Amino acid sequence: MSAEVVLRTIALGKQYKSKRWAVQDVNLEIHRGDIFGFLGPNGAGKSTTIRMILSLIAPTAGSVELFGHQLSTEREAALAKVAGIVEKPDFYLYLSAFRNMQITGAMTLGKTPLRTMIMDSLQLVGLAGRAFDRVKTFSHGMKQRLGIAQALLCKPEVIVLDEPTSGLDPQGMKEVRELIARLSREHKMTVFLSSHLLNEVEQVATRMAIISKGKLVAQGSVEELLRSKISSVKILSEPVKRSTAILKKMKSVSNVVLNGDGISATIEKSDIPKVVKTLTAAECKIYSIVPQQSLEEYFLSVTEE
Amino acid sequence: MFNLIYYELFKTYAKWRTYIGFIAVGLIIPLIMWGMHLQAGHNFVQYQLRSLQSDFLITGNLFNGWSISQIIMNSLWVHVPFLISLVAGDQLAGEATAGTFRLILIRPVSRTRVLVSKYSATLLYTASLLMTIAVLSLGLGLMIFGSGDLLAVDRDMLTVLPEVHLWSRFLLAYSLAIWSMWVIASLAFLFSSFVENAIGPIISTMTVVIGLLIISNLPVESFEPVKPYLFTTYQDVWQQAFKEPVNWSRIAESCGVLGAYSAVFFSMTWYIFKRKDILS
Repeated sequence: MSAEVVLRTIALGKQYKSKRWAVQDVNLEIHRGDIFGFLGPNGAGKSTTIRMILSLIAPTAGSVELFGHQLSTEREAALAKVAGIVEKPDFYLYLSAFRNMQITGAMTLGKTPLRTMIMDSLQLVGLAGRAFDRVKTFSHGMKQRLGIAQALLCKPEVIVLDEPTSGLDPQGMKEVRELIARLSREHKMTVFLSSHLLNEVEQVATRMAIISKGKLVAQGSVEELLRSKISSVKILSEPVKRSTAILKKMKSVSNVVLNGDGISATIEKSDIPKVVKTLTAAECKIYSIVPQQSLEEYFLSVTEE
Repeated sequence: MFNLIYYELFKTYAKWRTYIGFIAVGLIIPLIMWGMHLQAGHNFVQYQLRSLQSDFLITGNLFNGWSISQIIMNSLWVHVPFLISLVAGDQLAGEATAGTFRLILIRPVSRTRVLVSKYSATLLYTASLLMTIAVLSLGLGLMIFGSGDLLAVDRDMLTVLPEVHLWSRFLLAYSLAIWSMWVIASLAFLFSSFVENAIGPIISTMTVVIGLLIISNLPVESFEPVKPYLFTTYQDVWQQAFKEPVNWSRIAESCGVLGAYSAVFFSMTWYIFKRKDILS
């Protein structure tokens, strides 16, 4: 049985006054429990898509559905279980962290959240000790954590994070990554994570989509996508020297390098059977052909097309 | 809804700029009183009665707390609109500047409710500023200059309003002033929805108010046909409270026009805000 779709965009598009389509025909499906990585180069349309999902921008075409509710017609029901941080978290700097949490909490719950709820959320991100300090005294990293705390306050089922580690130091980035993994694992939250840091998405995401020039160019599980377009492989074949020599002679194989106990090479997925046949015919014993493609390589291959 | 209004008021009153208006009136009103007290208001009374002194013999305490409070109400032409636009012009533009629209407009609350709560906070701020002016000017005025009848001079007409009726007259005048100033607040609120910094709405509001006030008050024939359609023509509705007898039909007409202007300004704000893409 397939997992429940909690967030769906249908042919979503945004055309600005300049008549340029910033986002066009984007169809996303995020399942319950996903940590969904949303990747794209700068200016690809990630933020515009997220703003449409969170109703900050009205789509020119298509629609957004959250928990089966149309965002355009059932906004309050659609956003009831959703929280998010769009780009950098901004707050009422002249108010304390606690007051900021009260305001956003009241807007979600329809009543002032309990003090314990607020303190629990602040505790989760390590800010309980600064609850009553004005936010203007917070560092960028603290604001980022406060952003996550306010998003978690009302126990959302989907959390949308736009570049959550932007501007953080390596330690801060690690903490946020761990927090995201924990939210999914322990709190069963669905996380929609937009980032330009491929490494970050590769480490935490279970499914992902890539947007380029406003259009979706890939979507699926991280594993599936990385295997769908193999180019870099590591071959374990004996005898190594003969195998290397054969591979170097093949036109469909490039970048053949003896690498430790194996051979690294660049091969199109469609050429792998031919390589296997050639090596076998030359009485080489093939033990394995393992894809070595990184997300970076995959990302570049689909966004440069 | 009350919760939203409460937090909008909380945000409004937690900002430093909100207190500029209160500090300004808190300084200017005692300063005016001090200046008047030094001269016992003689020059001012002589100026007011310049056209009547040849025909009337006027005795008694003409310069009292009521009259000074009435003089201070003239700040409603330009000074108070400026103080109101400082806050009203920041209500939407300030959120855009700070990036906090991204914080509040992703909540399961309709934009209409957010807008209504902000507009309510703006109107309540306007009312509180005028009530502060009323309390301060009447309180200090009566304390320093004492009570008495109010000599209301309207062009060449002299009206003496008995002391016993003055509380109700001033209550009416300040109620009408609040109604009148809500138009200015609504205009600044409208301009606030266009832009992403508060300076623009403040300057735009004052430009419109001063420009239209000039057209409304200049005795130029070519302006006459448009005057009935300008809100500034009715902005001085509070002065009707000091006429004898009170012209209720004129008050009703003025309040109707001013109310219509407020409603139109708010409707335009709502139309813009509902469709506004939050890009900041």
